[in-house]
Order: sequence, then structure tokens, then C-alpha cells
Amino acid sequence: MKIKLTSVYVDDQNKALRFYTEVLGFAKKTDFSQGPYRWLTVASPEEPEGTELQLALNNNPAAKAYQQAMFQQGQPAAMFFTDDIKGDYERIKARGAEFTMPPTDVTASIIAMLKDT
Amino acid sequence: MTYREQYAPGPASGAQIRKDGEKWTLILVRELRHSPEKVWQALTDPAHLHEWAPFDADGSLGTVGNTVKLTTVGAPAPHVTETKVTRADAPRVLEYKWGDFEMRWELEPIVGGTRLTLWTNIGHRFIAMGAAGWHICFDVLDHLLGGIPIGRIVGPEAMKFGWQRLNAEYAKQFGIEAPNWPPKAGQAL
Repeated sequence: MKIKLTSVYVDDQNKALRFYTEVLGFAKKTDFSQGPYRWLTVASPEEPEGTELQLALNNNPAAKAYQQAMFQQGQPAAMFFTDDIKGDYERIKARGAEFTMPPTDVTASIIAMLKDT
Repeated sequence: MTYREQYAPGPASGAQIRKDGEKWTLILVRELRHSPEKVWQALTDPAHLHEWAPFDADGSLGTVGNTVKLTTVGAPAPHVTETKVTRADAPRVLEYKWGDFEMRWELEPIVGGTRLTLWTNIGHRFIAMGAAGWHICFDVLDHLLGGIPIGRIVGPEAMKFGWQRLNAEYAKQFGIEAPNWPPKAGQAL
């Protein structure tokens, strides 16, 4: 068994896909639809066969409530790893993303936080 | 062998696509050797839909104004959308939405049966997938109307019954790139 996939809830899958590819720099991995249901994932171009992030539509009350509560409390919805946090911070910021926390030293790591909207 | 095991879809046929601005419509036509009344029941009655449609309905789709919950069958996560029947002229025209898709069914009496036409708007990327899925659903509907229900074939089940071939054939007919599904190792869609 492997950890191959994780999900983040989104309001609009097309908009989310643009943000996760054009702003963050991930690549679309799987895009499949069954009726109105759409399975959409992205992966890192550095690791195309690596862990996928599913951009899941928040079209049910539980998903919406969870997404909003986590956002309001400033809890991260997903976390990524980079070898160059300063570079990625500048690159992503230049593409218009809003950081709520610039690169900051924390226990055992340096983290930055941004809004995926 | 059961009827279900023997089932294999024929070649892609009876489908066209129409583009109106950014909106794509998939149009599917199928002639059925059954009366419009009988086909109408299969399109609107939850018990009948359960035997062939890609969704379950918690109420009749045959009454205008009815609010009905549609549950997509076989999706990786429960997917329920609520719809309101906007037109139900039995046994001729039926309109409602499935998620964001408009669904318009027309039942035209022909000699010996019904010409069934479905108009549905569907994302361009998925239009061949949709045509392939509905093709198999209509085959199952045909069996059901003929008194030999073979059981619904949707979602992952469809992959065991030639869905990939139909998907590629419809993509070719529509002149769009064949969606690669299921993705081969090392290949993204």
C-alpha cells in the first residue's frame, strides 16, 4: 500500500486547475468525467508518477462546511515540499498568488502559506 | 452464458456534436422497437431508471415541477445533484438538468416504435466519453424494453463491455483527440 493521492476541496474545478497548473506549476494528471462527476488530479512535473492531488468539487454540504471552516481558521488544506522555498515563493507570488505567510522558520522546517483562490 | 455476458456493443453510431459558442451539445439518436409510452416510463420511473440509467432518481421525472435527487452511479465518491423537471409532455418531450448538464429527451413515434433523441450539453473534453457511456446505456435500455433486462452497465462496469473502443470510435467520428482512458503507465491524459 502506498500514499499515492490526497484531495483538496475546490469551488470550481476549471478555476482550480488553472491555479494549480499556471500559478503553482503542477501538471494535470488525470481528468475523467462520469456524468456530472469529474475526477481531476494534478501531479508535480518533477515527479509525474508521484503523489497526485485531487481537485475535488465541494458540491456536498460536508465538503463545503469543512473547506470553509479550515479556511477561516487558517488551517492548510494541502502541503507541498520544495528544495527552494525562497525561489518558489517569489515565482508563485509573481504569478499573482496571495501569501498569508512568507517563508518562515519553524521547528524542523521553513514554511510559507498561500491562498489557493 | 447469461444475456449480460453475451452483450457487446455495436460500432459507434447515431451520435453527433454541435458547438454553439463555448457550449457543446451531444445529440444521440436511437430507434427502439417499443411504443413512446413504454419508452417514456423507462425514462421517468425510478425503478426503470435503476435498470439502465447512469443515475438513480429518488422520485419520478415524469411530472413537471417535481424536485428529484439524482445520484450518479459508479462515481468514485457519492455524487448527488438535485434537479427540477422543467418539461414533461408525456410521451413526447422531457427536460431536466443532470448536474450542470441540460437534458432534453424527445420521443418520436415511428413505424414499429420510437425514435429517441437525447440532447445533452457536456464538456468538450468528455463528449466522446459521454457518447460511449450513453451508447451502452441505450443498449441496456433496449434489452430492458424487450423484456430481457441485463442489468445496468455504467461506471467501471462499462469498461468490461467495450466502453474504451466506443470512446475511441466516437472521438474519431467527432474529430477530436481520443481521450486516453484508462491512462497507461507513465502517461497523463
